[in-house]
Amino acid sequence: MTLLEMKNVSVHYGRIEAIHDMSFTVEEGEIVSLIGANGAGKTTTMKTISGLLNPSGGSIKFMDEDITKMKAHIRVVQGISQAPEGRGIFPAMTVLENLDMGTFGRKDRSGVSDDLERVFTLFPRLKEREKQFGGTMSGGEQQMLAIGRALMSRPKLLLLDEPSMGLAPQFIRQIFKIITEINGQGTTVLLVEQNANQALARAHRAFVLETGAITHSGTGKELLANPAIKEAYLGVG
Amino acid sequence: MSMSDGPKPLQTSKSAQGTAEAESHGVPPGSSAAVARPRRTFGAWSDKWREMPRTKQWLVLLPVVVLAFLLPLMDIPLITTEPGNDWPLACQAMAIFALVAVGLNIVIGYAGLLDLGYIAFFAVGSYTAAMLTSPDSAFIKIPYLWTIPVAIAVSMFVGVLLGLPTLRLRGDYLAIVTLGFGEIVRILATLIPAMKGQPGFQNVGHPPGVGDDGVPVFANNNGTPWYWLTLVILIIILFLVGNMERSRVGRAWIAIREDEDAAETMGVPTFKYKVWAFALGAGVGGLAGAIMGGQVGFVNNQKFDVVTSILFVAAVVLGGSGNKVGAIVGGALVAYIPLRFTAIAEYKFLIFGVALIIIMIYRAQGLVPARQRLLAYGTKAYADVKRKYGKASHRADTTPQSTAEGASS
Ligand SMILES: Nc1ncnc2c1ncn2[C@@H]1O[C@H](COP(=O)(O)OP(=O)(O)O)[C@@H](O)[C@H]1O
Ligand SMILES: [Mg+2]
Repeated sequence: MTLLEMKNVSVHYGRIEAIHDMSFTVEEGEIVSLIGANGAGKTTTMKTISGLLNPSGGSIKFMDEDITKMKAHIRVVQGISQAPEGRGIFPAMTVLENLDMGTFGRKDRSGVSDDLERVFTLFPRLKEREKQFGGTMSGGEQQMLAIGRALMSRPKLLLLDEPSMGLAPQFIRQIFKIITEINGQGTTVLLVEQNANQALARAHRAFVLETGAITHSGTGKELLANPAIKEAYLGVG
Repeated sequence: MSMSDGPKPLQTSKSAQGTAEAESHGVPPGSSAAVARPRRTFGAWSDKWREMPRTKQWLVLLPVVVLAFLLPLMDIPLITTEPGNDWPLACQAMAIFALVAVGLNIVIGYAGLLDLGYIAFFAVGSYTAAMLTSPDSAFIKIPYLWTIPVAIAVSMFVGVLLGLPTLRLRGDYLAIVTLGFGEIVRILATLIPAMKGQPGFQNVGHPPGVGDDGVPVFANNNGTPWYWLTLVILIIILFLVGNMERSRVGRAWIAIREDEDAAETMGVPTFKYKVWAFALGAGVGGLAGAIMGGQVGFVNNQKFDVVTSILFVAAVVLGGSGNKVGAIVGGALVAYIPLRFTAIAEYKFLIFGVALIIIMIYRAQGLVPARQRLLAYGTKAYADVKRKYGKASHRADTTPQSTAEGASS
């Protein structure tokens, strides 16, 4: 089943067009990676899906419902959850309080503690640091918190915007491993990355974004093998 | 914005980052970075305070409250503002400023909305009280005490009216726009004939009661009863605000202050909550204005200038943005200093302006640092969250250091 469908979506910042006529789908159960250089429009795409930006053209469908005009805080209730670029954790709240914010829009209170357990199982470090303030955590821990918080709304589609950004190598490996694990538990993942190697290796399908438009698409393996992509994004000539 | 979410947490995050990152190489977690929080004298107090049970908190508060009530009767040398200024009236001014600061703190401290035109709501409250009680007004007259709820309602309405078109703006843009609010009210007061411009309204009403000497209890120059009235109202407001900051609404405000986009994507209807913060703040401002109007007995368009509005902001930021206790201290100080040190009263805007800048540069948390989360979540709120997840927390609670930490708190 198609979970998310972007159809001819364009996004403008004032008069500057950041996304041009973009169309792609995310099927239920997939990990879809979106790779591209700095400024290609990856974050803009994510914010448009989560509802923080409004498209200037085109339409967005989520589970066959048109959500183009839907407010961001409603989209999370519908099942779209975002761990934003730069993590966006609440520094003055403790880890537990941050996680609790993830349930803000939730209607069902009953499943909440199960989800907390799931998050603590995925990220034991968060359990250890339960009372610590978000702002005093390391970059890797903050990223875990951002992902954990996004999971607390029990999303159908998890949006991850550069989860590996600025992290130490062992954290990067761990984060990607956990993303696969989350996907294995049934959550569809749309992953934005500059770390193309890992992102393609973990993805079922992937898209390459260049200056606001999709230039390549295929399975993760296909794109990994594509010489043009190898040269441009994988650092091998 | 920039005023309220001070740089402190970010700095700590950067400095703590090294430690925590190093830990991940095999040092047992929870050893140092987990407790590496900035410690300050006031911080330690507030920690202790939050860990106290409610009943014990009340026992500690009781003498403070009694002392507060006795304040206008205690004309202590060196502290008193006399002979320059009547001491009970000075106490009243401090209480009014404290009330204003507590209200503005909802807007700036909790929701992170830098409102530089808060005086507008204060003015609306004053005018509401004046126009419904003064013989100079052509409106219907109601007893003074009834004007207080009316003033709250009217200023909340004005808050929503001003908030709806402007609260989509963020940060500095919002600050600039709000700067105009105060001026709008002042100009309207000049232009609208019913608001009587500079002549204004004399003999604004006051609460009932006449003393043995035939003078009204709430005479304009009788500070003590006014102070007591204001103090009672302040305590009620503190109680309400305290409950609110621990509620879902309070959490939403803090989330908005810390990261508006993140809050929105967590399911917080940020715009709605910002309008609420604005409206509730406006209500408290209007309330303070109504009391001020009654006590002074005279309201005209000269009393509400932008500079005073900035003084309100100074009260909040000096005290420690985001902290009710800080707001009270800040508000009281901003009123007290010019009354006590009359020689420098002329320069109060300069002094508080400089103090504001210094605080913002060197100590973004103000005199009574809230350690920020206090505003969002006391221990009690933390305990509530914890209880909510009781099951999961209990089951996952197997790591020794987390139990140790739990026991030490
Ligand atoms: N708030 C903004 N205002 C104006 N232009 C922006 C804004 N945010 C991003 N852009 C521009 O849109 C383009 C895409 O940015 P972004 O989506 O952040 O790229 P990426 O996430 O792929 O690095 C860039 O050219 C960037 O400069
Ligand atoms: Mg980006």
